[in-house]
Amino acid sequence: MLTNKRGSLIGAVLAVSIGILVIHVNFVIFQGLYDAIIRDMSDYRFGDVYVIDEEDFIEKSDLALVNWFERIPYVEAAAPRLSSSASINATKYGQKTEEFQIPVVGVDPFRDTRVSTIHETIYDGQYVFSRNSLVVGSTVAQDLGGVEVGDSLKLKIVDRWGQDQLKRFIVTGITNTPGGQGLDTSVIIHIDTLRDMLDRKGDTGSLLVKLNDPTKAVEVKNFFLASFPNDDFKAETIDESAEDALRGFRSGIAMINMIGYFGMMSSAFAIVTILMMLVTSKTREIGVMRAIGAKRKDILIIFLLQGVIIGAIGAGVGTALGLSYTIYAKETKMQWEGSLALEVSYQWQKTVQTALMAFALAIVASIYPSYRATKLQPIEAMRTV
Amino acid sequence: MDKTYGEGETAVNALKDVSFSVNKGEFLLVVGSSGSGKSTLLNMIGLLDRPTNGRIFIDGVDTMTLDDNEVSAFRNSKLGFVFQSANLIPDLTVLENVMLPRQIQRTDESATTDSLKLLRGVGLEKQAHKRANRISGGQAQRAAIARGLVNKPTIVLADEPTGNLDSITAETIVQLMKSMAKKLGQTFIVVTHEREQFGDVDRIITIKDGRAFEGEEAPSKIEVTV
Repeated sequence: MLTNKRGSLIGAVLAVSIGILVIHVNFVIFQGLYDAIIRDMSDYRFGDVYVIDEEDFIEKSDLALVNWFERIPYVEAAAPRLSSSASINATKYGQKTEEFQIPVVGVDPFRDTRVSTIHETIYDGQYVFSRNSLVVGSTVAQDLGGVEVGDSLKLKIVDRWGQDQLKRFIVTGITNTPGGQGLDTSVIIHIDTLRDMLDRKGDTGSLLVKLNDPTKAVEVKNFFLASFPNDDFKAETIDESAEDALRGFRSGIAMINMIGYFGMMSSAFAIVTILMMLVTSKTREIGVMRAIGAKRKDILIIFLLQGVIIGAIGAGVGTALGLSYTIYAKETKMQWEGSLALEVSYQWQKTVQTALMAFALAIVASIYPSYRATKLQPIEAMRTV
Repeated sequence: MDKTYGEGETAVNALKDVSFSVNKGEFLLVVGSSGSGKSTLLNMIGLLDRPTNGRIFIDGVDTMTLDDNEVSAFRNSKLGFVFQSANLIPDLTVLENVMLPRQIQRTDESATTDSLKLLRGVGLEKQAHKRANRISGGQAQRAAIARGLVNKPTIVLADEPTGNLDSITAETIVQLMKSMAKKLGQTFIVVTHEREQFGDVDRIITIKDGRAFEGEEAPSKIEVTV
């Protein structure tokens, strides 16, 4: 009625919608990136629960520990790993490449494929399958002058007694992960070969435990630690393992979210401005309404109702746009050239919270213009042309 | 009543010691030159402004005792307004404009029937569903008269109702107001500076320099007793 200014109202609705959309886009990108890093760290390096010995290597039988874990209903699989470093060089076209240090990861090829998806990142060749096969990270392969499957590589590892141990391997695969979250800068060999080279028979560096319900990680971790009170085991959930790497990132997300909410505040100011313009342009009509008997309360309700309508439509449209973007990002596994694919999830609580906040802000933003409208004196208002 | 704008040396006495009563069903014309205080007087009677001193009784109610909400409700139920420019809400239809006072009163039951009846009375039945900004100035003023009458008010106050119209349309509007007054027994107080347009009326009050005088002529010399 009084507020029938379609252009202005569409503007106000758009302001609310865009505010919500910005929050959704920020969330999809930054939370998606955060969750993707956690996902990849879990898939490639730590599992859902990561077990190490606080002092040194795990001396208990890896088979016994794996069996112990796999009896827990929440556990899908467990696998041992052993890490060290090695000097590596390759001979390419008769030329020996420069020798440099790289991390070496020893895996149990059968068990590892059940806890980690690193074997799925082999883009050429296949995963470790024998005692002398070696998988090279794409960065290492590049640094070695373009190592290919079938090439021969020599690793030099210093054993526990300080003696150099040399062994020649055949490259059976090359691994590459989007965003470099995997083992692109390492080489992967059979865990028993690494144990032999280090002279650490039966020792394990870490255990990766994969759960069928990752939300039970804390429960599994606590149960494990309680079951081995006399050992120096240290167990971490993936969130704890990733904490150091992601602490800064999380602050970044908080900052970006804040920027999103500031954007929403700007939308509120836009609504105030648009409704103030509406009140100004409708001053004469407000005067007429007051003259023919409308109370201040009636005028207040008309403009507040406008805020409610703007908030409701804006929140609805913004949420629909935001959800559409989220669905698109989730379905297309959104990623940019070579970056890791975003791990997009639907956060219904956050979606509802954002929509309600935008709705409430629109109403709050309409209070002042509505109050100003009620303060117009009919006689003064009607003089406005 | 008196009405003074401003204070001290800059004070302007818009109305001075004005006192008169209007009988039910009377068609009262308030005339005077520009700036004489006619519109100020109408604003006081219409409770759009308050006198500095004095009281206004309408239907036996001392309007000075009413608070803001009561004044609004009183304006809605007891007073009808016809302004110089029709002041219809442009985004509403003619019918919706006429129904507006009833909607404010929240007595919607017979609002449509009554409004259509009034629109028929002012010859706008065919324009009832047109947007208010799609009709001519004369039609808008006729709709405004219908709006002023829809709540069956005690008094209809018209401020220069023909001021924005050409002479032929103005004549139609005057005749319409007079015929509605007669047909409905409605009290009209009409402010105008074009006395001749209205022909015979029940009563005339002339305002000069803020003072009110019965009849068409104000005394050339006003005696002021201090």
